[in-house]
Amino acid sequence: MELYAEKITFSKKPISIPPEYRPSYSIALIVLILKICCQGSKSSLLKLHLINWALKSNENKDSLKKFVLSNYTESSKTWGIEPSLNRALNYSVHEEICSIENGKYILLEKGEIFFSKIVENPEFLNEEIDFLNFLGKRKITDNRIDSIFKKWKSQNA
Amino acid sequence: MLKINNIKIDVNTNNGLFGAFHTFKSGLNIVRGNNTSGKSSLFQAIVYALGFEELIGGRFEKTMQSVLKDQVEYPKNTFHSVLQSFVLLEIENTNGDIITIRRFVQNPNRKSQLIDVYFGSLSANDSLESRPMFIHDNGGASDENYGFHLYLEEFLNWELPKVLTNKGELRKIYVQQIASSFIIEQKSGWSDFFATMPIYGLNNKEARIVEFILDMDVYGNKMKKQELGISKRILENDWLNLNKRFERFTEKGGGKLIGLSQYPMIINNLEEINILLSKDETDHSISNYLDLVINEFDTLNLIETVSVKDKVGDNENLIVKNEEKLNQISFDVEMISSELTFDQQKLSNFNYQLENLNEDLRKNKGAFKVQKMGAEIDLKVSENNCPSCNQEINDSLLPLSVKQVPMRLDDNIDFLSAQIKMLQVNIESLESKIISKDKKLKNLRGLQNNLRSQIRELKKELTSDDRLPSIVDIEYRLNLKKRIEFYSKYLEDFTELKDELSLLSIKWKKILEDQEKLKKDTFSVNDIDKLKSLTDNFKSLLSKFNYSSKTINDIAISDENYLPLAKKPNDNLVYNIRFDSSASDFVRSIWAYTCSLYKTSSAKNGNHPNLLMFDEPKQQDLSINDFTNFLKELSTYKSAQTLLFASFENSDETFSKATDGIEFHLNYINEKLIKPVE
Repeated sequence: MELYAEKITFSKKPISIPPEYRPSYSIALIVLILKICCQGSKSSLLKLHLINWALKSNENKDSLKKFVLSNYTESSKTWGIEPSLNRALNYSVHEEICSIENGKYILLEKGEIFFSKIVENPEFLNEEIDFLNFLGKRKITDNRIDSIFKKWKSQNA
Repeated sequence: MLKINNIKIDVNTNNGLFGAFHTFKSGLNIVRGNNTSGKSSLFQAIVYALGFEELIGGRFEKTMQSVLKDQVEYPKNTFHSVLQSFVLLEIENTNGDIITIRRFVQNPNRKSQLIDVYFGSLSANDSLESRPMFIHDNGGASDENYGFHLYLEEFLNWELPKVLTNKGELRKIYVQQIASSFIIEQKSGWSDFFATMPIYGLNNKEARIVEFILDMDVYGNKMKKQELGISKRILENDWLNLNKRFERFTEKGGGKLIGLSQYPMIINNLEEINILLSKDETDHSISNYLDLVINEFDTLNLIETVSVKDKVGDNENLIVKNEEKLNQISFDVEMISSELTFDQQKLSNFNYQLENLNEDLRKNKGAFKVQKMGAEIDLKVSENNCPSCNQEINDSLLPLSVKQVPMRLDDNIDFLSAQIKMLQVNIESLESKIISKDKKLKNLRGLQNNLRSQIRELKKELTSDDRLPSIVDIEYRLNLKKRIEFYSKYLEDFTELKDELSLLSIKWKKILEDQEKLKKDTFSVNDIDKLKSLTDNFKSLLSKFNYSSKTINDIAISDENYLPLAKKPNDNLVYNIRFDSSASDFVRSIWAYTCSLYKTSSAKNGNHPNLLMFDEPKQQDLSINDFTNFLKELSTYKSAQTLLFASFENSDETFSKATDGIEFHLNYINEKLIKPVE
């Protein structure tokens, strides 16, 4: 067979990735969740994952909302654990935005500054902030998450 | 007057300082250099220093040749990379005021929209005061303090007129636009008159420039003319809208519109505009149609009603025919309604995608914003570095094993916006498709119902008592009566619409009359004199340069845009000179036109800056003889300055032949323009 081209080269083009995979966006979400939804700006890893998962899409948001509004009786869906959030948490710790104390993430001063900067001019992040404000500090507590977790365990046992 | 005294180019490379220095005098200056010697770089550097680089086809330093921004080649095949470079241009005005302009081409820490102006000759006195000014920036031409072109306008003692833009706003002509009348660039400058002029939404820009250069009185009247042009456009729009209403109206009555054009015209006889309605396969105007229907109704009422018995045979035939039609239509309905369901499904898919994309776009914008905020509080991730090891992290949280390079955030935002736009176009076209199919479906269903009830009536009649009057017949009469009512009202509404049309027609007539009147008294006595002088100069120069595509007598200057026109022999038809000139003759006509603008302005006290710049005017294998004539003509412009850049076919012989007996100042570029500076 005759080849028309002597040499073919491929060059890799940059691809579009979802904003959730952007470090700055994820870190901003971590700061917002810790400050708005956690007592003492302190949270367990599982709770961060739950809220982060909810923020991923409108369907997820609605499902969590339904669960809360039904007084936690509506059968709770399982939520996803996103490895990228773990990476973002690692970055945040090294940026000194938050630190780990007794297995919980707690917001540091730099994180507070970042938070005030974001809230001063939220613009495109309004939807996230509104949802987090709806959740507030009391609706999703670590105890609540633990009990859901236990329920799953017993169901699967 | 704008006179260029000298130009200095400094290029710092990794192997020392390189540069060039050239001085120019009044009268004819010839810059001679072989091809690729850097002749055009010198031309462009002058244009760049004046901030006119849009004439070369762009803005800022990217318009410059690589010798000023990337690498210097000297001697051949030895390259030095450019670290920093700038142009220093010394210019003088009519009062003998001198300023020196410095503009950087390559300098990592300075934007190229900045220009330094030194008040005086920097080559004579190097401790001059300078002031930074802006160019091309918003306000580059209007900021009182720092706009360089505003300053240049004052320096040249010009008062640039305000002109109407396409949007109907008043705005000053830009200096760059005027420059295209006296600076002819090599690559596209020879392709048309004012070929390199930036547009800036200006109407009939060539004409405005010539009016300014020759300082014509026509300006005020031209303004009126432009205002008229705008009301003309508005009327055209109104007309089009009314036309659409007519079309919809016609559709409602199920007829055909005649006599109305999409564009405004004077309508003398409103009766010409009508809607044709068809009856028994011939078309009738509305009133005729109405007469026909009324007539039919009256005659039907006169005769006695037909009884069922008389019609049995006809009815049976009719039933068969109607049923055939009904089958066809039912089939069509089936087809279209399934297509419609498919399209609607597709549309809801698209809408879902669009929603997701919009959400993605919003989040990306948010990410972009917080990234900037992060940089403000010194987050390393905002600069794409890992906070603990400082390695690059690609702006993503994907595991390192995923060997994909993500787009930068701003690119990602552009990417998503483009996708959204594409999707919106798709949705729009799908929606219009759905609407038209829906309409068709409704139409077909209506027909279906009609046919069914007709068949039903016919069948009913067949089974009813023979002696009874025919129901079908009675229904037909009722139908006629309804139609008479509908079309009587229709005719009334049509007359109202026509009244609106006649109003627009009257307005249109007024506009045309005003236009005609303005045409007559646009030019003052002075203007006519100037235009005549421009025409005479142009013609005499054409014959001097041996223009031969047309007889010189058939050439004129347009009253509209002042560009040369050629006339067909024995006919009054005129058209752009370009269409009837050979390539070399067209170059001759650009020589002649550029020169005659100067000559006319200088004889009649116009605004020409008395500077002419030509890059490689010997285009298209023009003969040396004609070129010499051109040089000779230029050398007589003693009170002006001409900078002429040419290669003379890289030959000494051509050069001495072309310049024989001509007085000029020579700048010879030996080997290369940019050379080491001792």
